Amino acid sequence: MFRVKSAQDFGAAVVFMLIGLAGIYFGKDLTFGTASRMGPGYFPTIISFLILGLGVVIGLRSIAIEGPPIEKLQFRPLFFVIASILVFGILIDRVGLAIAAVTLTLVAGYARRGVNLKETFALGAGLAIFTIVVFVYALGQPLPAWWGR
Amino acid sequence: MEFDFFNNLATGFTAAATFKNIGLALLGCLLGTLIGVLPGIGPIPAIAILLPITFQLDPLGSLVMLAGIYYGAQYGGSTTSVLVNMPGEASSIVTCIDGHQMARQGRAGAALGVAALGSFFAGTVGTIFIAAFGPPLSALAQQFNSPDYFSLMVLGLVTAVVLAHGSVIKAIGVVMVGLLLGLVGTDVNSGITRYTFGISDLWDGIDFLPLVIGMFGVVEIIRNLEQPVMPRIPVSTKIRDLWPSAKDFRESWRAVLRGTGIGSLLGILPGGGVVLASFASYTIEKKVAKDPSRFGKGAIEGVAGPESANNAAAQTSFIPLLTLGLPSNAIMALMMGAMIIQGIEPGAAVMTKRPDLFWGMVASMWIGNLMLLVINLPMIGIWVKLLSVPYRLLYPAVLLFCVIGIYSTNTNFTQLVLTAVFTLFGYILVRFGCEPAPLVLGFILGPLMEENLRRAMVISRGDAMIFFERPISATLLALSVAVIALIVLPQFRKTREQAFQE
Repeated sequence: MFRVKSAQDFGAAVVFMLIGLAGIYFGKDLTFGTASRMGPGYFPTIISFLILGLGVVIGLRSIAIEGPPIEKLQFRPLFFVIASILVFGILIDRVGLAIAAVTLTLVAGYARRGVNLKETFALGAGLAIFTIVVFVYALGQPLPAWWGR
Repeated sequence: MEFDFFNNLATGFTAAATFKNIGLALLGCLLGTLIGVLPGIGPIPAIAILLPITFQLDPLGSLVMLAGIYYGAQYGGSTTSVLVNMPGEASSIVTCIDGHQMARQGRAGAALGVAALGSFFAGTVGTIFIAAFGPPLSALAQQFNSPDYFSLMVLGLVTAVVLAHGSVIKAIGVVMVGLLLGLVGTDVNSGITRYTFGISDLWDGIDFLPLVIGMFGVVEIIRNLEQPVMPRIPVSTKIRDLWPSAKDFRESWRAVLRGTGIGSLLGILPGGGVVLASFASYTIEKKVAKDPSRFGKGAIEGVAGPESANNAAAQTSFIPLLTLGLPSNAIMALMMGAMIIQGIEPGAAVMTKRPDLFWGMVASMWIGNLMLLVINLPMIGIWVKLLSVPYRLLYPAVLLFCVIGIYSTNTNFTQLVLTAVFTLFGYILVRFGCEPAPLVLGFILGPLMEENLRRAMVISRGDAMIFFERPISATLLALSVAVIALIVLPQFRKTREQAFQE
């Protein structure tokens, strides 16, 4: 049996192999064509195979050569920051920038431990006012400030 | 020729130096510095975050503002390097070494002042470089045919990979993934959609903003949040002298000249010239110094040289973009993305068809540099204060500006989902030790490479020998092989690893 000596390389290898395979699989219905008459599938398929090949090479290296471990994952910042982006996307169309901005600030606030609700709420309100004045009124961006447009 | 040179610059300054454009350069510079000075946010995420606000301006106005943002962001990055010892990007690493030592000795003002003055001088020389070498190079570019363009892109990507941080083989993988992502959308040749998964928002390809803001801006925020709360920097309160002394000038002017020369030359090379320039300059300064032991302990030449080199290279790295349509590093890829959104296809045609735009942009770079000097230098105190605002109050604001920027450019939910996806993807790449910057380069070049490969193959009826038969193409491929051979050589490899470790 083999042992993974470089966790980072191993992870990268898996990512590249998955992308390569996905490129080949989802590109299989595209016409490949010939070199002189390249179809829409020609270049992407070649690139996908190259990515897959690189993934394999990196994978082999990861069990042959020592490398750094993966830093401990922290799900909290990752989760709350991404969630705040999506929540903003859901809210902005329905209730407008004011509420979306405050909500984004609150959700993003939880990306840190020991969030101070009062302070975060005040920050959110301040940012909402600032962005509405600057982006909606001053710059005339296509953003609704409130619901119902 | 000489007459043309001044004539061209005059065209540029007439177009760029309007009241409105100078205002935009000023605003861009201020905003660029504002975002760039935030700890851990280097020029790439800073530009990505600020891109959307330039979109509704006219083409020249937006390019002028963008140039301001670029120089502002870079200067902001240097400020953070000097004061907090946190380089936002590879080319500021060198500035950290002696710059931060100077800050600890209470000479932060001198370090920043010399950096700004050196950068301005270097930027001026760089602008002259572009004005002088732009036209002949674009005449050369007229002789480029599809096979040559393809080989040029290969060379650009190879060089970018070699100069990326960390593992070369992983950088190659990242570039390839970028190429593949660039192909998503409708194939221009057949009209067939590729990798769109039935999502109509992907028919025109993956939008540039969600990708760059997600992978650079948002990922940076997450990475910073993972770090334990940054210790407050005591140096920030000790800026005694805001201006470099006469002694500082005496010690640094030669370094500025050398740095400018090195940077101007290295910046023209396809592939990450900026990083190479600052490392090369630092090494040279250390070599020529009477007392090399001062380096690492706050030698002013160690700031003046690399910062000038950095800026000169930043300037001349526009040359391949403007004459050949080839972005030579991730920042140039961002610039190119912004130009394409404005409806400008960078390349030799811009210079002949829209000379006002081309020369206006060249002039605006110089104006951007000037703004940096006259506006930002006196404001160092304000930037320092900004550094002392706790991060917990800053990041929600930055995040909000990111999403507003994306959403107001293209008001639909899919864009924000894409941002989330690319944030996750960028985060995974970073975690697995892959530098994401080369991906943008691949992403921008993907469709261009495919198109030129296709045309080359049509010309040669499917014979790949065409790449070796045409002299320009063969030379470029030979250079690519030489660059690859370099990294295989153990000696170069060692130097490269050392350079990135310092």
